Amino acid sequence: MSFLTLTNIQKSFGPVQVVHGFDMAIEKGEFVSFLGPSGCGKTTVLRMIAGFETPSSGSIVINGKDQGTLKPNQRNIGMVFQAYALFPNMNVHDNVAFGLKVAGAPKAETDTRVKQMLSLIKLEHLADRFPYQLSGGQQQRVALARALAVKPQVLLLDEPLSALDAKIRVSLREEIRQIQQQLGITTVFVTHDQEEALSISDRIVVMNGGRADQIGTPFEIYNTPATRFVASFVGTLNIIEAKVADPATGAVAIGNQQVSLKEQIAGMKGGDPISLALRPEAGSIADSAKGDTALTGEVVSTSFLGSVIRTKLRIGGDVISFDMFNDPGLTPPTFGDNVTLRFAAKDLLVIRE
Amino acid sequence: MKKIWAWGALIFGLLYFTLPLIGMTNFSLKMRRGEYSFDAYGKVFSDPRFQETFTYSIMQALFTIAFGVLLVVPTAYWVRLKLPRLRPYIEFITLLPLVIPAIVIVFGYIRLYNTSSWLPLTGSIAGTNVLLMFGYAILALPYMYRAVDTGLRTIDIATLTEAAQSLGAGWATILGRIILPNVLVAVLSGAFLTFAIVIGEFTMAALLNRPAFGPYMQLLGANRAYEPAALAVIAFGITWGCLGLIQLVSRFQKSAPPKA
Repeated sequence: MSFLTLTNIQKSFGPVQVVHGFDMAIEKGEFVSFLGPSGCGKTTVLRMIAGFETPSSGSIVINGKDQGTLKPNQRNIGMVFQAYALFPNMNVHDNVAFGLKVAGAPKAETDTRVKQMLSLIKLEHLADRFPYQLSGGQQQRVALARALAVKPQVLLLDEPLSALDAKIRVSLREEIRQIQQQLGITTVFVTHDQEEALSISDRIVVMNGGRADQIGTPFEIYNTPATRFVASFVGTLNIIEAKVADPATGAVAIGNQQVSLKEQIAGMKGGDPISLALRPEAGSIADSAKGDTALTGEVVSTSFLGSVIRTKLRIGGDVISFDMFNDPGLTPPTFGDNVTLRFAAKDLLVIRE
Repeated sequence: MKKIWAWGALIFGLLYFTLPLIGMTNFSLKMRRGEYSFDAYGKVFSDPRFQETFTYSIMQALFTIAFGVLLVVPTAYWVRLKLPRLRPYIEFITLLPLVIPAIVIVFGYIRLYNTSSWLPLTGSIAGTNVLLMFGYAILALPYMYRAVDTGLRTIDIATLTEAAQSLGAGWATILGRIILPNVLVAVLSGAFLTFAIVIGEFTMAALLNRPAFGPYMQLLGANRAYEPAALAVIAFGITWGCLGLIQLVSRFQKSAPPKA
């Protein structure tokens, strides 16, 4: 049986339903990210797990115990907030010790635990500082230590990295993942940053309009998106509008060119419109590039992005991007060039709504 | 040219404010014929009625502050956290003591709580003291509520409350250990204003016939020459002392200075 189970969770604020039939089972020690744009319901689900919101219907079970009637302070759930939420009147030591003091832990035990936690986040030397004397990254690490000090059964992270600058964000997310693996704590992480979710999660839930569009490993989410939304939200994706030429052979027409998906297109007939997706990194215009499929197009623009060069090609009625690794020996195509883009047919994904 | 007008206005304002005070202080020091002395102050301080009324008013002020904090902090916190739509109405209610004269309030009290009512508070000294304390709390409500509400505005009470709840804290712990310490400077500002109001209040204490400092000042003013001036200087000193303390405590706030 799963450690944290959400069953048919619905949530409405007045007449507006923000979460629709959300189901999820999370194993003990798993790191799950809720990924989606603002307003998709990911934070609402997290807040329902924490007990700050009550589901309109459905159940939340943690370690076999229904959380329905429990107040937030009875759930033993650690939470880290986007705005840090450190208590301004307490120094770092007292912030971390707060939960233990509330639980009535003896002073010696509290001090030992606080030291452990501060050592975990490598901030032992800042125990006497007040929150306003810390940087954003340090404050968020203290907030993490404070949440972990009480040994919660589940750790909830509500966009904890959003208020930090890019470099700190990357280092802190790695630190969070390392600490989570070290402690083996079941963690739910809410983010709208796909890179964050892809890099640290065991599984990702991509949410759209209050529903889970797809639940899977980062590899599955990125490589085999289940819906058009997932495909467009996770990573950069070219959507190509085509028409089915021959469903039996998988032939499709893109403008006046024809390619084959090398598999049967079920449920469609010749002439039906079809949406295809191609990752920018899946194609190449190098002469030596391998690929069983090719499309010819006109270069619209070329952008140098450091490690990669992104080129936009007009093929049929669509403009599609593809990336090449930077190489000093490479001559990037220029505006107006006609080039051939080669890729594997298996990388051309059929997008269902 | 503009600067001259500005300086002129400032000097006029300062003179308008300070000249009566200087005159009153000067007069209070002239009890001994032909030389300056603190005789009037000595007489005031040695008057047992001064000690009695001043102590009474200080005690009333302390109880009023305690009652005000217990009433206002949880109310303002709850309104901000759970009932933000009610804020304009609560603010309106807290402003009412500014437009309803104290004499109306105290006559209302006497009518409601006289010896033939269901709650005869005026029938005993302790009851009347409690009634006066409630009255003072009402008079100080606009200042206390505003001070606390402003303090609450400077912190993210919703997130701090949720953070404390997720760590196992109940409402009493959240209020006592998170909210109150973080609005302490605001509460102290309200407390000092309350103190100044209670020390100088006349109407309620006189009509409820309690031995407070305000009626004592009035009594002395009607019968003596120099002592009332000395007493007025003392009362001003107390008020300014309170304002100075408000400034002082605001420097001890353990949080980031407000961003420009």
